Amino acid sequence: MRLLEPLQGALAGYCRRSLHDRNAIADVLQSAVANSYCDFHLYAEGTNFRAWMFQYVHFEIQNANRKHERTSHFDLPVELSVEDVWELALAEPLFTTLIQAPDQVLDRCDQELASAVLELPPLERAVILLRSIGEFKYREMSDILHVPIGTVMSCLARARIRLRQKLTQHGYASGWLKQEERQA
Amino acid sequence: MNCREARQHWNLYHDSEGDAELHFRISEHLAVCLECAEWFRLQSRFEGLLSEKLAATKSESAVWHAALAAAGLGKPTPRPRRLWMAGVTATAMAALLLLLWLNLFRPVPSGLDLAEVSANWHEWLQSGETPLEFTSNSDQEVESYLKGRVPFPVRCPPRKDAGFAVRGAGVSDVEGRPAAYLNGMVGNVPVSILVIPRDSLSAFPVQHAALRQHGIMHAPAGAYAMVLREFDQNVIVVVGRTDPGSLERVVNAYGSYPDHD
Repeated sequence: MRLLEPLQGALAGYCRRSLHDRNAIADVLQSAVANSYCDFHLYAEGTNFRAWMFQYVHFEIQNANRKHERTSHFDLPVELSVEDVWELALAEPLFTTLIQAPDQVLDRCDQELASAVLELPPLERAVILLRSIGEFKYREMSDILHVPIGTVMSCLARARIRLRQKLTQHGYASGWLKQEERQA
Repeated sequence: MNCREARQHWNLYHDSEGDAELHFRISEHLAVCLECAEWFRLQSRFEGLLSEKLAATKSESAVWHAALAAAGLGKPTPRPRRLWMAGVTATAMAALLLLLWLNLFRPVPSGLDLAEVSANWHEWLQSGETPLEFTSNSDQEVESYLKGRVPFPVRCPPRKDAGFAVRGAGVSDVEGRPAAYLNGMVGNVPVSILVIPRDSLSAFPVQHAALRQHGIMHAPAGAYAMVLREFDQNVIVVVGRTDPGSLERVVNAYGSYPDHD
């Protein structure tokens, strides 16, 4: 409990951003805590408790989200390397406006950002949230998610691009990013 | 390294990942290419703001209360009693009004000063009153020691290229919240680095306000100079009896090295 207390905000935040059903937060946390408590003898003192605990929460989130995530996401070229994907995105001039005036959009898009995150493919969502909320390194995320480190890297780059796409679209649709900026 | 190559590796650079050689080559390029330096700055600022937004926490104590109780690890949630609650609310309101009224006739307290807290901590370390918990000249060993001992991420300490030679590290608490500290030398001067979670900053109103406005802050504390800045979800405080420019170089180097894992 002493180890868990400082993580409560981050774990709940990770659930809140990851779950399609917001009412499931308490259930997910309960199962994760109960399971990790049962397995606590497997935890080695002095090792990374944060990563260990996030692993249990992530597993429960996957279970809870299962029925919501049957759709596929093929709008980014999956066969490209992380550098190529990133370079492809850099060629997108619309991102420039968002990057130069992020406050215009970020200050007013709580709901849209939450939806954009939920619309990400599960692994990309997990990676960007583990990085933002848990501040995990690539190696730690690879251990939590049981995927190779290269997958973590490409998922993170793709998630970043997808969120930028969504926010840019939303910025123009709402008029927060101006048409003339778009042309420039 | 050319502009295209540097920009392709922005993710690794921003996340302090990849090998040291890559970081060095990118840093070299950024030092001579102002356009890329500005591009990197804008990308990192955007991702920083986005991460901050994604990580913003709401109070989830009710959720945790319910989850822990259901898992058999906490007290059960009390059933609501409306009359009892109304009485408590009224008493609390009365007490609040009384406190507000009393405070009208008192000077507003300035709150704790992080500069003073850090300077005191540094002095205790130097005098030996607080012994260094872990002694090592290896940034790698120090980083491994701290990982897993604090409930927030810690990064590789600044290295000699930033003018900092690490001597050791340890774990402590600042205002009841966990903190990590690093100790080392800048030239011949002992310098300490305190790493605290960003939400601990609310206990230090002066620094809290200044950091929100400027992102970095210089503050003298007696004979010591102090520089602090936010990095990810942490606040990094560098304190020592040396020129603030050297301390700023150290504080800016924190978190800029790739992980050793």
